[in-house]
Amino acid sequence: MKIILFSDIHANLPAFEKGLKLIDAEQPDAVYCLGDLVGYNAWPNEVIAEVRKRGIATIAGNHDAKVSSLTAMELEQPGKNYAYKLISEDNKKYLATLPAHIRLEFQLKGRTLFIMFVHGSPSSNDEYLLQDKPDREFISVFENANADILCFGHSHKPYYRILDKGTGPRRFKHAINTGSIGKPKDGNPQGGYVLLTINENANTEETDGISVEFIRFHYDIERAAKAVEEGPLPNEFADMLRKAY
Amino acid sequence: MTIALFSDIHANLPALEAFFKDLDSKKPDAVYCLGDLVGYNIWPNEVVDEIRKRNIPTIAGNYDFGIGRSSDDCGCAYKTDEEKANGAVSISFTNQIVKDDQRKYLRTLPAHIKVEFQLNNDKFNLLLVHGSPRRINEYLFEDREEKSLLRIMQDADADIMCFGHTHKPYHRTLEIADSGTVRYRHAINIGSVGKPKDGNPKGGYVLLHIKENSSIQAKDSISTEFIRFDYDIEKAAKAVEDSPLPNAYAESLRKGV
Repeated sequence: MKIILFSDIHANLPAFEKGLKLIDAEQPDAVYCLGDLVGYNAWPNEVIAEVRKRGIATIAGNHDAKVSSLTAMELEQPGKNYAYKLISEDNKKYLATLPAHIRLEFQLKGRTLFIMFVHGSPSSNDEYLLQDKPDREFISVFENANADILCFGHSHKPYYRILDKGTGPRRFKHAINTGSIGKPKDGNPQGGYVLLTINENANTEETDGISVEFIRFHYDIERAAKAVEEGPLPNEFADMLRKAY
Repeated sequence: MTIALFSDIHANLPALEAFFKDLDSKKPDAVYCLGDLVGYNIWPNEVVDEIRKRNIPTIAGNYDFGIGRSSDDCGCAYKTDEEKANGAVSISFTNQIVKDDQRKYLRTLPAHIKVEFQLNNDKFNLLLVHGSPRRINEYLFEDREEKSLLRIMQDADADIMCFGHTHKPYHRTLEIADSGTVRYRHAINIGSVGKPKDGNPKGGYVLLHIKENSSIQAKDSISTEFIRFDYDIEKAAKAVEDSPLPNAYAESLRKGV
């Protein structure tokens, strides 16, 4: 089955609209959003409305989770908090009740395979699982969370790593960073998402039943950057969109 | 947030279409399908296509599991010889008409989905299964002994467990009192979109409401709505009668049994 994963939209409607158009064209079997709908740009309500309208199964990112804890005074501060101030009361409630994780358990040809979706890491929505994490440390993250395939975002730098325990049951672990639809930081300003395909022979002793494809797409970056510059948000956020850092 | 849960469509396209119309008016924030897309009526491919088109996260039911593997066994607990004979016609007919691509989809559906909430410095897990966490075709009826139901949920680390398979909806809140604290587990059967068996022939599904103050320590903080909707039952029943399927399935649809 074809599963689309995306995350870190960060209130960037032009990027999200373009991404959704491409996702629809992929005709996936299921779509999951790994959080961070808000922050850094001017369209949090529009992004949330689209996710809700489509009924997309979504988990909370660190930005989504912190919105309800911001005080009225904090929300009035000039600068980056304007991105949260824009969020409607109803959408704040939606963000506050998003789940932290979603797990899928597959039983294919009698073999069990666990997929876990988190925003940052299984233990925190604000922890970065970066590409250069040492193998052994990374494998223990999987084992503590009882996951064979771990999908996450948060760093805005997409990658796919297969970790090999060498021997034993549930040998291979798949780490998938979904990148970012609306605020990439890997030097490529294009939006990005992931297509994860689980074949009927997917299992934990071999790797070829699982495939991961990274899709990058052009969108109207200037529209997103100008929305930042024309509002009270720090202009640096516009520069970050143009240069992807 | 509001989560819509539905299952047991059983190839009943008129019921699925009416369900989607009703669902869209309720504007849920997320939608999950708990399996049994096929069997007992003439539209298994169309039902699979509609659910895929909406990208709905879906788990496998016992009938999906059987058809996905071109098996002649749906894991159904038929009681009488007549039920067994009818069941054999249904699975054989379904195996004949389901196409390769739809069969492949059924074959790669996950078995369970678990949604883990962390609200108010507390955690609770919503587990979605078709029959039970132990077996895809185990029937968890409303009169299940409380102790047994609690053990099943505890073993699966489920605070809220939603399932279908029996086609008879209910929500049971189970109280656990230990060392001065009281917690609640919720066992929720979501009924059936396309083949209800509780005496009410209308299609059914559930809306699960999770609020900011939802907690396993507050009994009514997790609530459900059982929605029933009208659909063109005659169209679904006539389709059965005009097909090689046993006419008994048309009567089941008309009476909700």
